[in-house]
Amino acid sequence: MKPLRIALTKGRLEKDTVALLEKIGYDCSAIREKGRRLILPVGNHEFEAVLAKAADVVTYVEHGVCDLGVVGKDTILENGNSFYEILDLGFGRCRFALAGPKGKPFYGGYSIRTIASKYPNVARAFFEGKGMDVQVIKIEGSVELAPLLGLADAIVDLVETGATLRENGLEVIETVCPISARLIANTASLKLRKREIEALAARMEQAKGDGI
Amino acid sequence: MKTYRKITPEGTRDLLFEECQARRTVERALAEVFSSHGFKEVVTPGLEFYDVFDPESSGISQEEMYKLTDRRGRLIVVRPDATLPIARLTATRLQNLPKPVRLYYTQPVYRSNPNLTGRSDESVQTGIELIGAGGRRADLEALVTAVEALRACLPGFRLEIGHAGFFRALAGQLPVNESQREDIRRFIEAKNYPALDALLDTLGGGPAVAAMRRLPRLFGGEEVLEEARSLCVGEQTVGILAYLQDLYETLGSLGFGDSVMLDLGLVQRNDYYTGVVFSAYMEDYGDAVLLGGRYDHLLGLFGAPMPAVGFAVQVDALARRLLSLQKVSAPPAPEVLVHSCEGFEKEGFAELSSLRAQGHRCEHSVFDTREEALVYARARGVREVLFVGAQVERVLLERGGTL
Repeated sequence: MKPLRIALTKGRLEKDTVALLEKIGYDCSAIREKGRRLILPVGNHEFEAVLAKAADVVTYVEHGVCDLGVVGKDTILENGNSFYEILDLGFGRCRFALAGPKGKPFYGGYSIRTIASKYPNVARAFFEGKGMDVQVIKIEGSVELAPLLGLADAIVDLVETGATLRENGLEVIETVCPISARLIANTASLKLRKREIEALAARMEQAKGDGI
Repeated sequence: MKTYRKITPEGTRDLLFEECQARRTVERALAEVFSSHGFKEVVTPGLEFYDVFDPESSGISQEEMYKLTDRRGRLIVVRPDATLPIARLTATRLQNLPKPVRLYYTQPVYRSNPNLTGRSDESVQTGIELIGAGGRRADLEALVTAVEALRACLPGFRLEIGHAGFFRALAGQLPVNESQREDIRRFIEAKNYPALDALLDTLGGGPAVAAMRRLPRLFGGEEVLEEARSLCVGEQTVGILAYLQDLYETLGSLGFGDSVMLDLGLVQRNDYYTGVVFSAYMEDYGDAVLLGGRYDHLLGLFGAPMPAVGFAVQVDALARRLLSLQKVSAPPAPEVLVHSCEGFEKEGFAELSSLRAQGHRCEHSVFDTREEALVYARARGVREVLFVGAQVERVLLERGGTL
């Protein structure tokens, strides 16, 4: 049978995942010294790692060309999920938050609010849940700029320490939801290769509990 | 002005040669199984009123449907699902037939998918509906037909069986409101263990909470039933487990044991399905290739309450698999090109008829000259050219490349 294929989100989640895999005894030297290769063997070829951008991890897993993926909950919320989300890996922690100019009340009044976000679906769903009709503008780069320039009343964005917000005179109005990295699995793969995938997930869960 | 004359809309594609062959192979194999089980074919319109697919009862969201209006401004959809029209037609036109009614169909369904995800908006489904029969024997008939249908196309699939009532019974034992229940259902469908745990943590302890927590993990072989039995209290859940065990063992005794699994966490469209639910998976395809179950409430929505069970197969997925396994290939070049010389068309057609009657695939040359006919035959990879004149002259060509 083919080795299980796992898609990793490039960057910090990749490093954390590698640390976790090494902790449970898989040799990840091929990932550490990857050069320009994109598909890399893990351990004794027990599985293959694919390095991809976050949203692509979701795409590859949905289509079943990768059996498993490690991706942030932020990407899952923004891109929807027709896959299984089987484990909270515990790293990559931060939160989605609604933030706006310091001291300026956001709620109240009847004018329609404009929200800038890199995550328009998350922003829309959040306000739908409140029964609030808002206008969402998609911004690709530093979202904090939008309220400073007067384009938006507030932003929905990932917040880790809140330092960038503070430096720009913004503050968190409300937490939307907490975020962390997740292990996701393709629907068919989990059914067809249950034993392998559950065993790996169980080992990862145990190792993560011990702290990385 | 920009025109879109040379491309097809996203989510659609042309099928060429071997792709058509693969699709027809699957359609024929499945139709053969269905009709040998006594199912009769029906075709429903490609356009239906939106009301037939009311999202409340169909579970198909408004966003997914292709909509247009008719001349009187009424909302029309391009068929997004095959079962609802069949329920409509059974309820309205087949009331007087002896029950159960066995129907099958092969037709495309249309769903509008989000942009650039690589999913098809047009997909051919073929499936059966067994309407007007409830109970174990009807469920078994649908399951056996499903397994035999897939077997007729491809080895190496897994069919998993669950029961919509199991989740409902468990949820009934929890102190939750409607929206929490739906959240739990969604988390189980997505096998989102972390979110499910977090929600259940707020509900305190108790056996129902513990059972619900395990529910998405309760898939696999017979051991699943054992574990479920140890977790469950309540007559209803225990009854459902016994029922699933009976189905599972019966399928095993029929020699289908290798292809059948259980999944108690099958909670898709939980308001639509009322009893047994099942889906099938195969290697190298990331989604279910067959989905089905019992839907006893649906016919009632069309004014003729009747139990019913059925399933739909994703023809394109099976066809793609056949192609990748190289079980079908492009139709070969014709064996013979017949070129009628000036004034000998009648003889040419007679030659073609007799060759075709012997089972040879042959083309009639539409060229004016012998040279053009030969050039074409070489390019097309035809081995033999017959020039029909006062005599018949046979020219054999080296095997060239095929087009």
